[in-house]
Amino acid sequence: MSLLEINHLTTSFSTPQGTVRAVRDVSYHVDEGEVLGIVGESGSGKSVGMLTLMGLLAENGKVEEGKILFDGKDISPSGMNTRKEKQEYEKKMQEIRGREIGMIFQDPMTFLNPILKIGTQLTEGIRKHEKCSKGEAREKAVSLMKQVGIPSPEKRLEQYPFEFSGGMRQRIIIAAALACDPKLIIADEPTTALDVTVQAQILELLKKLTKERGTSVIMITHDLGVVATMCDRIAIMYAGKIVEEGTTDEIFYNPKHPYTMGLLNSINNSSKEDDEPLVPIPGTPPDLLKLPKGCAFMSRCPYTMKICEVQMPPMSRYSETHCCHCWLECKDEKYITVDKESGEAADE
Amino acid sequence: MSETVLEVKDLCKYFDVKRAGKGSQKVMAVDGISFEVKKGETFGLVGESGCGKSTLGRTILKIYEPTKGQILFEGNDITNISKKKMLPYRKKLQMIFQDPYASLNPRFTVGEIIEEPMVIHHMYSEEERKKRVQELLEIVGLKPDHIRRYPHEFSGGQRQRIGIARTLALDPDFIVCDEPISALDVSIQAQVINLLEEIQREKQISYLFIAHDLGMVKHISHRIGVMYLGHMVEIGNANDVYKNPLHPYSKALLSAEPIPDPKVAREKKRILLEGEIPSPINPPAGCPFHTRCPYAMEECSTASPASYELEGRKVACFLYSPRYLKQRENLAIEPLLAGR
Amino acid sequence: MEWFDPIDPSRKNSEFIAVESKSFLKEAWGRFCKNPMAVLGLVVIVILGLLSIFGPMLSPYAYDAQDTANQYAGFSMEHLLGTDKFGRDVFTRLCYGGRISLSIGFGAAIINTITGVVIGGLCGYIGGKFDNFVMRIVDIIYAMPSMIYVILIMMVFGSNVRSILIGICIPGWIGMARQVRGQLIALKEQEFSMAALVLGASDARILFKHLIVNAIGPIIVQVTFLVPNAIFTEAFLSFIGIGISAPMASWGSMAQDARQILTMYPSQLLLPTVCICITIFSLNFLGEGIGDAFNPKKK
Repeated sequence: MSLLEINHLTTSFSTPQGTVRAVRDVSYHVDEGEVLGIVGESGSGKSVGMLTLMGLLAENGKVEEGKILFDGKDISPSGMNTRKEKQEYEKKMQEIRGREIGMIFQDPMTFLNPILKIGTQLTEGIRKHEKCSKGEAREKAVSLMKQVGIPSPEKRLEQYPFEFSGGMRQRIIIAAALACDPKLIIADEPTTALDVTVQAQILELLKKLTKERGTSVIMITHDLGVVATMCDRIAIMYAGKIVEEGTTDEIFYNPKHPYTMGLLNSINNSSKEDDEPLVPIPGTPPDLLKLPKGCAFMSRCPYTMKICEVQMPPMSRYSETHCCHCWLECKDEKYITVDKESGEAADE
Repeated sequence: MSETVLEVKDLCKYFDVKRAGKGSQKVMAVDGISFEVKKGETFGLVGESGCGKSTLGRTILKIYEPTKGQILFEGNDITNISKKKMLPYRKKLQMIFQDPYASLNPRFTVGEIIEEPMVIHHMYSEEERKKRVQELLEIVGLKPDHIRRYPHEFSGGQRQRIGIARTLALDPDFIVCDEPISALDVSIQAQVINLLEEIQREKQISYLFIAHDLGMVKHISHRIGVMYLGHMVEIGNANDVYKNPLHPYSKALLSAEPIPDPKVAREKKRILLEGEIPSPINPPAGCPFHTRCPYAMEECSTASPASYELEGRKVACFLYSPRYLKQRENLAIEPLLAGR
Repeated sequence: MEWFDPIDPSRKNSEFIAVESKSFLKEAWGRFCKNPMAVLGLVVIVILGLLSIFGPMLSPYAYDAQDTANQYAGFSMEHLLGTDKFGRDVFTRLCYGGRISLSIGFGAAIINTITGVVIGGLCGYIGGKFDNFVMRIVDIIYAMPSMIYVILIMMVFGSNVRSILIGICIPGWIGMARQVRGQLIALKEQEFSMAALVLGASDARILFKHLIVNAIGPIIVQVTFLVPNAIFTEAFLSFIGIGISAPMASWGSMAQDARQILTMYPSQLLLPTVCICITIFSLNFLGEGIGDAFNPKKK
C-alpha cells in the first residue's frame, strides 16, 4: 500500500492580475521507504504542491480540488467551507506536521529562530510531539546531532543559529525533521543553497539516515544530478502538471515526453561526447496567467501538432511505473474530444 | 589561439573588515593568482562560494582596486591607471553578471539599456545606435518590439540575453562571465551557453567563465582553473582537469558533483571532504586546503606549496613537488596520477 | 487525420510576453488612483492650493484692510466668514494665511529635498572618509533642538517668511540625506550599478541615472513627510508668537490672535485650526497613498 496518495490536486492563487493555477490536476503516490523526486523549473508548481499537502498555503492560495490520503488517513484540504471544518483540519495537520511528515527547506534560516538556542529549538520540537521529560528530550537531541554528524553536540546545543555554517544548519534541519521518526520527509531543494562539496555531504547523510529508518522521501529539486543520485522514482512537472513519471532509469534512459528529452539534452550529460553541443529547449516557460487550452509545453515543443493547442493530451502508460502525457505517444483519433467546429473556434 | 589577451600576475585583493573588539582585519579574498587568457579562448574558473572567484573577476575589471600584483591587457599594464585612461579599455573588457534580476536598471527600457554603452562612449549617430540595438536584439534572439519594454516584464533567461546584448554593443575582446547561468532554469542554461559559444566563434572573443558548476564549465571552457580560498590550486586543459584532476581539492570537487546519469551515479565513489571552507579572514597557514585534505602531510601546515608544472598543468600541491614525486617513485605508494 | 499535422510555427511564439508594458511611474500612478483616501487628499490639497493662490485676488478686501466699524462680524454674504477684531475679512486672511503656510511647506520641502538628495547622494556614493566627515557634521546639526535654529535666525533676520524658511531648512534636510544615503549604499552594491561602472559610465551618470533614479520611490515618500512637518512648524511658531508678524496672516498667527476671545467668538480660532487639520490630514493621506503606490509589496 502506498504511504501517500494524491489525487487530482488543483491549487490556485488569486493575484491582482488574475487567478493563477499553480498546480493543475496532479496525481501521484509515494510508497513506503521510497524516494520520489519531483523535478521542475521555477514556477512549475513543484513547491506549491508540497505546501498544499502540508496545509501551509499562503492566504491567497486555494485548493480547488483534490484528495490526499496519508497512511490511510484522509487529509484532503479541499471542500472546507465552515470555520469549524477549517479548524479541525488545522488541528489534524498540526499533529501530522513534524511528527509524521518532516520537512527540510532550502533556506535553513527560515526554519530556525535566530534568537533561540539550537538546543531549545530541537528539544521543543521533540517535546511537542512526544510526551517526555526535558532531560529525555535533550538526550534525544544530542543523539540526533551525533547522527547527523555534528561534532561535540553537547556544546553545540548551547549555541545560536548564526554560529553555525550553512551546511551545519542544514544538518540541524535534518536532525529536526528526523526527530519524531516521521514516515515521510519532504525535502524542498535541500541542497540548492549549498556548495558542491557540502551538498555531497548532506545528500550522503540524508540517504544514509532515511535508508536506515525506512523513511519515505519526496525530493523536490531542479537538479537532475541530485535526482539521479538520490531517487528511486521521478515525476517531471511543467507549468503545474506532471508530464512524465517513471523510475529513475526509465526517465533517464527511456524518456518519452519532449520536455523530459529536452531537459536531458540541455545538460552536460556524461554520456555526451566532449564537444557535442548542448541542445537547449527554445523559448521561455509560459505565463501561468495565459496558459493555452491544450498542452502548456506546445510553445516550446519541437513536435507541436494542431491538436496540442486545443486539447490536453491523454495519459499513455508504458509499464506499471512509467507514464507520460503527450499527444505524440497516442496519435489516435479516439482520444480527441474537441470537435472540428469548436476547435476552429478556438483557433480564431 | 596563441596571442595572449589578458595576463594576471600574482594578483591580490584584500578587504578590510572592522569587527567589534578585534580591530581591523584583512579578508584575503584573492591571494597571489597568476594566469593568462588567450585570444578566442574560454578560461573556466571553478570554486565554491567564498573562494574569491567573483572577486577575482571584479578585480580584473577594476571594479575593485587590486591590492597587489599586475593585470596586463593586450600587453598594457592596466593595474593602476586612472579612470580616464581606463576608459578606452572599458570598451574592450566587459562583464556579464550573475543575477539577471539585479544587473539591469529597472527604470530603463530594454532599448535604453542596450543603447547605454554606445551613448557613454559616443559611438555612432543616434539613428545608427537605434539600428544597432535592433541588430543586437536579433543576435540574442529577442524581438524588435521588445525594445520599449521594461526588464521586469521578461523571464530570467530573456533578461540574461538582454545583458549579453548590452555587453556586445561595445564589441569587446574579453568578457568576464560571472556565473551567468547559475540563476537560470536548467532548460534555459543551455540557451545562454550556446549563445555565448556562437558569439565567440564569430567574433573571437575571450571569456573568463566563472561558475561553481563543473559540468557546464568543462563544456564551455578550453582551460580550467580551480580556486580554493583565494588561491589557484590547479590550472590545466578542460578535458584533462575534468577527466583526471590532480590536486586533492579538484578531485574532491569533481567527485562531489552530482552526475545526471543514474547508472554512473550509483557506481561512483565519492571523496567526501570533512568540514567546510575556512574563513578567508584567518586563512590556515601553509597550504589553504590542508585542514580538509585527505592527503595532508606535515609540511602542508607550515609551508605554502608553489605551483608545480606537470604534464602541461600547474598544480599547487606538495604531492607534485619534484622531491615528493621522486620519493613516491621509490616507495611506490598509491598512483596518484591515475585517472579516477 | 489533420489534427496530428504539425502546427503552424507562428502560433507557437514562445518569446511572447503577456503582460502589458508599463513604466514604473505609470504603474505607481495606477496603484495610487485605486486608493480613494489618497486621491481625496490630493484633491483637497489642490483645492486649498487654488484657494490660497486665487482667493486673495478674487476677494474685494485686502488682507490687512481694517474696518473698525465692522468688528467681529458674523457670517454674511458680504464677509463670507465674518471679520476679526480689526474688522478684517477672515476668508481673505485665511486664504492669505494658506498662501504663507503652503508656500513655507512646499518651499521647505523643495529646498530640503534638493539639499538632502545631493548631500545624501554624495555621501552614499563616495563613501569612506568624506561620508564619515559629513555624517559627523549631520550628527552635530541634529543634536541641537531644531527650534533653536529658527529662533536664532529670527533674531538675526527678523520674523518673516524667509527667516522661518531658513530656520526650518537648516536641520530639515537631514532625514532626507540619511534616507538617500542608506538607499544608495544598498543600490551601489547592486549589479546594475557595477554594470554601469564596467561600461565606463562617469560618476555623475552612475549617481543620477542609475542610483538616484532607483531611489525615487523612498525620496518621494520622504517628501510627503517634509511638507506637513514644515507647515506644522510654521503654525506652531506663529502660534507661540515668534512666527509671522502682524499685519501678515498665517493660520498659526490667526489662531494665536483668537486665543483670548475664544469663549466669545469660537469660530475665530476654529477656522484656522480646521484649515491646519485638513491640510495636515490630506498631506498625510496623500503621503501614505504615495508610499503604498511605490512599495506595493509592503501591504
